[in-house]
Amino acid sequence: MTISSRREFLQTGGLGFGGLALGELLRNEARGQAASAANPLLARPAHLPGTARNVIFLFMQGGPSQLETFDPKPVMKKFDGQLLPKSLQDYDLAQINTADAKVMAPRFQFNRCGESGLEISSIFPRLSRHADKLAIIRSLHHDLFIHGSAMIMMHSGTRLLGHPSTGAWVVYGLGTQSNSLPAYIAMTDGIFRNGASMYSSGFLPAVYQGTDMRAQGTPIQNLARHKNIAAGEQRMLLDQINRWNRQHLATRPGDSRLDARIANYELAFRMQTAAPELIDLSHETKATRDLYGIGAGPADRFGKMCLMARRMVERGVRYVQLISGGWDAHGDCQGNHTSQGKKVDQPIAGLISDLEQRGLLESTLLVWVGEFGRTPIMQGSNGRDHHPYGFSAWMAGGGIRGGKAIGATDDFGFAAVEDKVHVNDLHASMLGLLGLDHEELTYYFEGRYHRLTDVGGQNNLAERLVQG
Amino acid sequence: MRPTLPQALATLVVLACAVQAERAVAADPAKPPEEIHWAFRKPTRPTPPDRKSLKPTARVRNPIDQFVLQQLGEAGLEAAGEASRRTLVRRAYFDLVGLPPSPDQVAAFLDDKSAGAWSRLIDTLLDSKHYGERWGRHWLDVARYADSGGYETDIYYRNAWRYRDYVVNSFNDDKPYHTFVQEQIAGDELWPDNLDLDPRRVYIVPAKKRRHLEARVGTGFFSLGPRVHESGLDARRLAYETTIDWVNTTASAFMGLTLGCARCHEHKFDPFTQADYFALHAIFASAREVELPLWTAMEEADWRQAYPKVVAVQEATKTYRQFEARTKGKPLTPEQSARKQTLLTAVAESVLKLPERAAGQAAVDYVGLMHIPTASVLGRQHPALIRPVHLLERGELNKPLQRMSPALPASLAQATGTPAALPQPFGSRAQFALWLTRPDHPLTARVMVNRIWQWHFGRGIVETPNDLGKMGQLPSHPGLLDWLATGFVADGWKVKNLHRLIMNSATYRQTSRFATAKHLAEDPDNRLLWRSSRRRLEAEALWDAVHVSAGTLNPAMGGPPVVPPLAADEIASLREKWHWVVSADPAQHTRRGLYILVRRNFKFPMFDVFDTPVTSVSCPTRDVTTVAPQALWGLNNKSVFRQAMHLAGRVAKEAGADSKARVERLWQITLGRPPRAEESASALKLLEALEQTKAGPLDGSPPALAALPPAKGHALSKLCLAVFNLTEFAFAD
Repeated sequence: MTISSRREFLQTGGLGFGGLALGELLRNEARGQAASAANPLLARPAHLPGTARNVIFLFMQGGPSQLETFDPKPVMKKFDGQLLPKSLQDYDLAQINTADAKVMAPRFQFNRCGESGLEISSIFPRLSRHADKLAIIRSLHHDLFIHGSAMIMMHSGTRLLGHPSTGAWVVYGLGTQSNSLPAYIAMTDGIFRNGASMYSSGFLPAVYQGTDMRAQGTPIQNLARHKNIAAGEQRMLLDQINRWNRQHLATRPGDSRLDARIANYELAFRMQTAAPELIDLSHETKATRDLYGIGAGPADRFGKMCLMARRMVERGVRYVQLISGGWDAHGDCQGNHTSQGKKVDQPIAGLISDLEQRGLLESTLLVWVGEFGRTPIMQGSNGRDHHPYGFSAWMAGGGIRGGKAIGATDDFGFAAVEDKVHVNDLHASMLGLLGLDHEELTYYFEGRYHRLTDVGGQNNLAERLVQG
Repeated sequence: MRPTLPQALATLVVLACAVQAERAVAADPAKPPEEIHWAFRKPTRPTPPDRKSLKPTARVRNPIDQFVLQQLGEAGLEAAGEASRRTLVRRAYFDLVGLPPSPDQVAAFLDDKSAGAWSRLIDTLLDSKHYGERWGRHWLDVARYADSGGYETDIYYRNAWRYRDYVVNSFNDDKPYHTFVQEQIAGDELWPDNLDLDPRRVYIVPAKKRRHLEARVGTGFFSLGPRVHESGLDARRLAYETTIDWVNTTASAFMGLTLGCARCHEHKFDPFTQADYFALHAIFASAREVELPLWTAMEEADWRQAYPKVVAVQEATKTYRQFEARTKGKPLTPEQSARKQTLLTAVAESVLKLPERAAGQAAVDYVGLMHIPTASVLGRQHPALIRPVHLLERGELNKPLQRMSPALPASLAQATGTPAALPQPFGSRAQFALWLTRPDHPLTARVMVNRIWQWHFGRGIVETPNDLGKMGQLPSHPGLLDWLATGFVADGWKVKNLHRLIMNSATYRQTSRFATAKHLAEDPDNRLLWRSSRRRLEAEALWDAVHVSAGTLNPAMGGPPVVPPLAADEIASLREKWHWVVSADPAQHTRRGLYILVRRNFKFPMFDVFDTPVTSVSCPTRDVTTVAPQALWGLNNKSVFRQAMHLAGRVAKEAGADSKARVERLWQITLGRPPRAEESASALKLLEALEQTKAGPLDGSPPALAALPPAKGHALSKLCLAVFNLTEFAFAD
């Protein structure tokens, strides 16, 4: 392709010359890679061959306790109700004085699951059956104590507002395979606790922004035709708008934005059909719906979202972000995690089975994580406070060989001590699994080239995750 | 110059060299001037290229064209011809006031065949109060303006709008730019006499003090950044992060430098050290955010008198409402009936006690009375509370090294022949502001001239207006930039004169509807300005254009942000619905886009899809993206359809019953031109087809539309909707 048309493409994406990732530019040049002027979201190859093509990011908002989910600490039983050992009393916590708070032993049984014997809490009985597919990371850490900043960290790799979310970076790097749905869709079972920063494109062009989609009613804003406009009328209007816009374009050479605009009207029109079809689960079999726990029970809501996530992946959506709210167990950690488990266990287990049955699991990376873990010490009588020094996540699918745990916290689950994985490392590894080099996926803004992993991060996981 | 891939490669080379930790050389007098980065050298006024050497000579209207034509000539590219007068008038309106011209305004310009018509049009627009709204909004991008703090709580800044109004007024008043800079950085230190604005002693504030008070509102620049608000956080860390925002935004906005990198390490590309960076932090050490009362003694007297009475009305009303809620739907006992009467009487009596008219004002604004008018600005920290500033290893708060004093960046101080040290604890901001606005400062005028150029042409002479350092782009027309910058300073930093100069050039008046294969191949981005660059209307301009066309724009200026209603699907993603409390008065729903509430966590959805800036840091240049949600907004949004009905009503009223005349009027209102024969024919055909649909009366249709037969009203509204979706409507050629 000529420099001229590529530059036009960049302009169409609103990037301008300075905005383009330099690495990307040079690579494109070397490969002679084509990109359509009308579609800056066109799918493009990764830097390297990756093992995953799509991502489903399962975000447990509020901060699930590592001690009640994926990080067994049997030794704590002995210390239940006692002070922490001296060595741990120096840590600064947000609201609890470490020196006089009492240890709270894990509230649930952990079982050895699958052939691997991976230990998982009993709040996830169905997920446990997939143990051999899960790679648990028990040494995740950062240093932010409040939900707001920690969620920004988990989604954008920095503590500061205004940076692109992980999904936006992934779409910036890989484009999308769908021509009738957004490239990046976010869904929540409650609210986006941090507002749009949870799926924002930050300083990347808006074309990479996540679309917040709702599981019922009108899935995307402005998607439903106005009540005064019949379907046939809208097509009639759109045809005339397109004709006039093409006439306008014909007398204005050398401006690809005008082409792009016409193409986007057609895309919008297709979305009007494709998005409602996406969230319409009526054609899914009863067996499938049951698999996800859809029905009257507590798993219904998240189950629908998980089933929709599978449908999104099938339809080429690059990055799906599902948010399960309510994990903020300050008061009653045991009660909270019991009911939270019931909400997500069957949906997530069902999603893994369903993706596997359909041959999608190999190419779809699942990531499960919250914005932080919870304190090993008691808050109130039965609660745990926010705790970012050592918490758990897991990944599955996308080429990952499961049945293993990476990293470890100390005996009290207080801080990551072995194979520490910073959030930036987690992001670097996620990009790595997608074939994207986190140091090369850059964007020029405010005087420097930014990346998802800020100034840190190393892809210290991807290789280990995909090996047996 | 023809900056394409080779330039990118050159940047890469620079990058590689810099990684070798080569410290760039700024203004070391031992270095020959050509080794100092261009932006750190004092600009000297260049002589414009000789007119006679340029072709076509006749095209030169002013020296801007001489610079532009010379480079086009060197590149062997011809310049486009002049745009039509119809195109020019639309371009000028959007450019200077951000609104489309009315059909009458278009006609007036087309009919004025005299020599000075264009200059007069520019003068008229510069005199319009809407000018400040348009150009103030540009500056607000740079100032990362928002009405809330972002992060999880997204706390509301109830005073931020006073800074917004200050900016609008400053542009309207043609405040010299150096004063504008001084006020924002150090209004309190430079005009300290406003500090004795003690309502107990000063009864009537003299005009001069009023102006000084206004100047202090400029420091609101610092109070409206992103901010974490949550308990359980380290106050020292929050203060540090606030200062980071202040220093980085100051450097980006006024100096065109991105200094953020120097927080953690020596700047790799520009001659700024970590010590320079933390010395800038020290400049702000003695500053504290304060609430500045913006009232006179007379206003206070009114308030003291009226406030208890307003409270009494509220209390009486509340009591009655509670009673009403308790007894709703049940028959009243005799005692309850009596009670109801008593409560109603109490409400009436409390209202009657309100003053009819306050002494100092034309009318009493009862809502206003509930709030003390203040502005959040900078003031002095108590000397005992000033936190020492240290150089921090890798920018980490818990790794302090030596203590820092306020100082100018060493290399730039040297370039201007100024001692770097600044007074302390107080007065450092004032000296910093005065130094920045010295006539020979290498950056300040260049930065602003470049911004203004960008806002006129869509691209700066330097394409990275917040980064004139080594990582930024080189100027496409270095001579022109320096000629403009030096002229700007010599002219007293007058922004409106700069608009006149730019817009009177032939370069500005070129057509955008021109291209040859050669032009597109050799300069596809139009860096050499061989044609005018077509502009997509910004979010606010598009919003305004829709409402001006529909005849519904409320032109009221200033005041607290307004909150238009949103459809359920637009507000669905907002967690705290009370963060979007719709303005009670419907007239506020159709104010200019500038006045719509800017929340960091929840952008007005239409603005979000049309690329309003990220408000976390200074935004030098807005993206212009083309995405499907924009089309969905135009086709399906309820408020757009409502405005289409208003437009249809207006068209029917102004054009009469004849469909052809209606189409003609519709095109004049929205596109500033008559329809071509083909357009008119297809519009009539479309109307006819749409009229076939069976239709009931339209909900919420304006009276002029309701007077039409329902089928006609429907069809005309839908045609209007189609026109709102035309590329031509959303772009200015």
